[in-house]
Amino acid sequence: MEAQAAGAKPVHGRWRHMLESRRVLAPLLIAPAVVFMALVVGVPFAWAVYLSFTNAIGGSLTGDWVGFENFTTAWHDDNFRRALRNTLIFTFASQAIVLVCAAVLSNFLVRNFRGKWFIRFFVVLPWAAPVVLSTIAWLWLLDSLYSVVNWSLARLHLDNGLVWLLSAVNLEEDAQVPLQWLGRPNLALIAVTLVHAWRILPFAVVIFIAGRASIPNEVEDAAKIDGATGVKKLWYVDIPLQLPIALVAVLFGIVFTAVDFAVVYLLTRGGPFNSTQVLPTWAYAIGIDGGSLGEGAAISLFLFPLLVVVSVAMLFFARRAQVS
Amino acid sequence: MTLRQKSMTYAVVVPFAILLAFPFYFALVTMFKTNLDLANVEHSPYLYNDLEGGFHWDFWNYATTEHVRFLFEDTNYPKWLLNTLLVGAAVVGITLLLAMPAGYALARLAGGWGQTAGVGIFLIYLVPPTLLFLPLSRLITQLDLKDSLWSLILIYPSFTVPFATWLLMGFFKTIPQELEDAALVDGASRLKALYLIILPISLPGILTVVIFAFSLCVNEFIYAFTFISSSEQRTVSAGIPNDLIRGDVFFWQSLMAATLIPAIPLALLYNAFLDRFIKGFTGGAFR
Amino acid sequence: MADASDELVQESSALTRSDLLKKGTAAAFAVGMFGALPEKSFGFAGPMKFAKKQLAGDLRIMQWAHFVPAYDQWLDNTYIKRWGEANDVEVKVDHINNALLYSTAASQVAAQSGHDLFWFISPPSTFQKQVVPLNDIVQEVTKKLGPMTKVARKSTYNPKTKQFYGFPDDYAPDPVQYRRSYLQEAGVSLNTWEDLRKGAPKLKAIGHPVGLGMSNEIDSNMLLASLLYCYGGFIQNEENRIVIGQGSNRKGAIQALQVMRDIYRNGMSDEVFAWTAASNNQAFLAGRLSVALNAISIARSAENSGNTALADDTWLASIPRGPVMRLGNEHVMGVFVMWKFAKNKEAAKKYLVDQQLAYREHFIRSGYYNFPAWTGAIKGGFKEIRRMTAQDPHKPKGKYTILTTIAEKYTTNPGHPGNTTPVIDEIFQTWLLPQMFAEVAQGKMTPAEGVSAFARKANAIYRKWKNQGLV
Repeated sequence: MEAQAAGAKPVHGRWRHMLESRRVLAPLLIAPAVVFMALVVGVPFAWAVYLSFTNAIGGSLTGDWVGFENFTTAWHDDNFRRALRNTLIFTFASQAIVLVCAAVLSNFLVRNFRGKWFIRFFVVLPWAAPVVLSTIAWLWLLDSLYSVVNWSLARLHLDNGLVWLLSAVNLEEDAQVPLQWLGRPNLALIAVTLVHAWRILPFAVVIFIAGRASIPNEVEDAAKIDGATGVKKLWYVDIPLQLPIALVAVLFGIVFTAVDFAVVYLLTRGGPFNSTQVLPTWAYAIGIDGGSLGEGAAISLFLFPLLVVVSVAMLFFARRAQVS
Repeated sequence: MTLRQKSMTYAVVVPFAILLAFPFYFALVTMFKTNLDLANVEHSPYLYNDLEGGFHWDFWNYATTEHVRFLFEDTNYPKWLLNTLLVGAAVVGITLLLAMPAGYALARLAGGWGQTAGVGIFLIYLVPPTLLFLPLSRLITQLDLKDSLWSLILIYPSFTVPFATWLLMGFFKTIPQELEDAALVDGASRLKALYLIILPISLPGILTVVIFAFSLCVNEFIYAFTFISSSEQRTVSAGIPNDLIRGDVFFWQSLMAATLIPAIPLALLYNAFLDRFIKGFTGGAFR
Repeated sequence: MADASDELVQESSALTRSDLLKKGTAAAFAVGMFGALPEKSFGFAGPMKFAKKQLAGDLRIMQWAHFVPAYDQWLDNTYIKRWGEANDVEVKVDHINNALLYSTAASQVAAQSGHDLFWFISPPSTFQKQVVPLNDIVQEVTKKLGPMTKVARKSTYNPKTKQFYGFPDDYAPDPVQYRRSYLQEAGVSLNTWEDLRKGAPKLKAIGHPVGLGMSNEIDSNMLLASLLYCYGGFIQNEENRIVIGQGSNRKGAIQALQVMRDIYRNGMSDEVFAWTAASNNQAFLAGRLSVALNAISIARSAENSGNTALADDTWLASIPRGPVMRLGNEHVMGVFVMWKFAKNKEAAKKYLVDQQLAYREHFIRSGYYNFPAWTGAIKGGFKEIRRMTAQDPHKPKGKYTILTTIAEKYTTNPGHPGNTTPVIDEIFQTWLLPQMFAEVAQGKMTPAEGVSAFARKANAIYRKWKNQGLV
């Protein structure tokens, strides 16, 4: 097709010709982004990797080389392992919720119904509020004494039932009324997961809808002519077409949650008894507040290979999906 | 839509809307509460009560705007909002400038190595910011940008660009190759085809990037905290927790107001964009 | 000398007493004091320009946003201006949320640039290698004011390096604050921890439980470490070695964990695991709690709330006695450090010395929150402090007198009987104490398992900092 393009029109000089060539144009277009990223993140990242192999303390950017000691120290700490586990739980549980809800919600939101403007406005609100502030709002909603959630549950006479349910499914055996959402380990896990899902859901919905918007009408029309409707159309037409974008949404959802610091730091500070720490908050507690910078750097880097694996797998999957 | 479809739609969207918007509704109620009303556990959190916890229909006489006034007059909140807007706008501009060409090239032009570069850009996103702020603050100091909004304008694209590049790449890929080929056959250059054909069609993608890049800037607070130490230069996400949580006291009503106020215009903006997307594929506005 | 103090007297006499009562606590009881303030306390005040000025330039200071906001106002608008004019130095103080002091400090160290003086809410011993030792001005002040309090010394001195890595400025005692009427109603005494263990169920029964936090926040940290002292379960010994896993320390720690578990099971609710630093204040001011441990911010907030019944019923006491001793941590230990890269070291040092010499006024302006690190900074020492606190006008009259006793006899540093080492700092900053107590209270571990797990973690941290040569 390049040849076609070049052949269709006489070449106006060498420079112009070069711009038409993939080999020149592609790097030219990618280079600014890559150079910028390499400078602004690449160098500090390399520095963080270096720090994780040193015994640097108290904010100092240099230290003595200690090999993998920081990594092994972290690994042998049960608080670290719990943080690793929690990171995975929060990420995958909240993204599973987001994916399902976003798929359903976006399909209904695009319909034409009375009041659609207000409904959509309400749906995008959580993503519009700065996460720091909306998490502080959640802190108030789940307050140990003033929780409006508990107040409402009590007025609806649902609180005792919920406590019973929690113990029936073995989630919290000795929870009491009013429920301390941030004071019992499993309740706090649930609270943090839901707050993550709450704030990412609008993001996923918007991406889904935008993704749908960029599917050309011709495809829809063709599907109509072929008589594809309902589930069949969803499965054979909508899902394959939306998949590349949906995957991007999921991927970013995963990354947003996995490297997020604000929600846990503000909502539970890792409590109760460090049972909701995640790697970013635990790295911060050890490396910044605790002063063991090298070890903190090592903890924060544990996440990196994991995310690389997830991302590469998903990207690979995305490409396959697109080809077929 | 049939009646059945309609009721089905409401049955799905209304509960979602309530769940998602509830904290904001509650923030709206809380921000006008008096201290004594808020502090009394016996009082309904949804209503404005008198001192005995009773509700009156002239409830506005039992509410107060004092905490909103405090936010606007006794803190630097208006300044923080402005700073956030400035940083957000500048970063969104830089992001588009860097990410659009890169996203296009990755989607259309690059072969195997392009995929690799693409993955590389994405991986940078995975670097946890928890500790990156330390080496970065050295960089900022050396560039003499400490205590200046420019520090944020420089650093924020580091997390918006990978995101934007990938999102745009996804959008560019959904555009049928034939459209572009047709333009090329008609004699347009590649850059011209990009400008005339691809960009208009991918407007939803570009708008999405604008929305999310801006959101990411508003959300960020570790860099905003550590690069800037004077209150007047802070952004909303750094200024509010610093000045409205004072050790043993949370200024709850003002915190709620501070949460709600920036959320409303942003949500309006996002909603307008959403509206365009939806109109676009039901009415063909984009093509 | 006259300028500054005249202005102050004028400023205070311009306000009537009732004005001040409306304006807030710190100023309210300060007014009575100002007339009696000897002019000597403004040792630095002088003519606008020194004839032989030695200092110049800017002095940038970072410190917390004080829990008594009126103190910050006075500091920023009056004190530093006065000092700045007297010394020809442009002083600027930035205030940040206390939870962000460490991250801001770390970023300044990384950047090798920042404030000349950096104030910490607790001894920042993990930053020792980044600061200029201040032995010289510690000596200078000691020469003028007599010995430093033990709590300040143990907090800022590292016996291993023989250095004062920070300059202790102030500390806040950590009293028990309780609702007298509830305790009377339930017939509960706070004299010993055993009394509290027995009384907790009674207080819960009348609907006003005890509020002793076991959450990831500073109040819980301070309280739980204090409880360990009372039962003889010391984390480290005088040589700063971790000893909690062995012998009598282990036994004491197990007892302390049992007591706390009992108090939780019979006298508290799950709320104590969910708390932020503000929660015990909120629950106390809401009228729910009968007993809480905190700096005087609870009592002061009650006085400010307009709820006089609550304020008059809020009394202070010292920490309950345990089988081994009665001893508590300070709640706040204000320590200034001077970074190696500080630009205006001379001015910074003079500022610290002058502030300590003039601490009487800071003590008053902070509503008796900031006790001076050198008791001698207030002429007459604890005797005078007792007289001053006794004069606080709030009811019940004399309720703040007990603060003096607590400061004098029952206040120590985190890490007692040793120093506040980086090991102690990291244990506190990673919430290992609330973790141990909460895991035991919620039945995830037995007290013995809890102590063993804690000791293991503490020893790992100790090894790390020993390799750094700091313990």
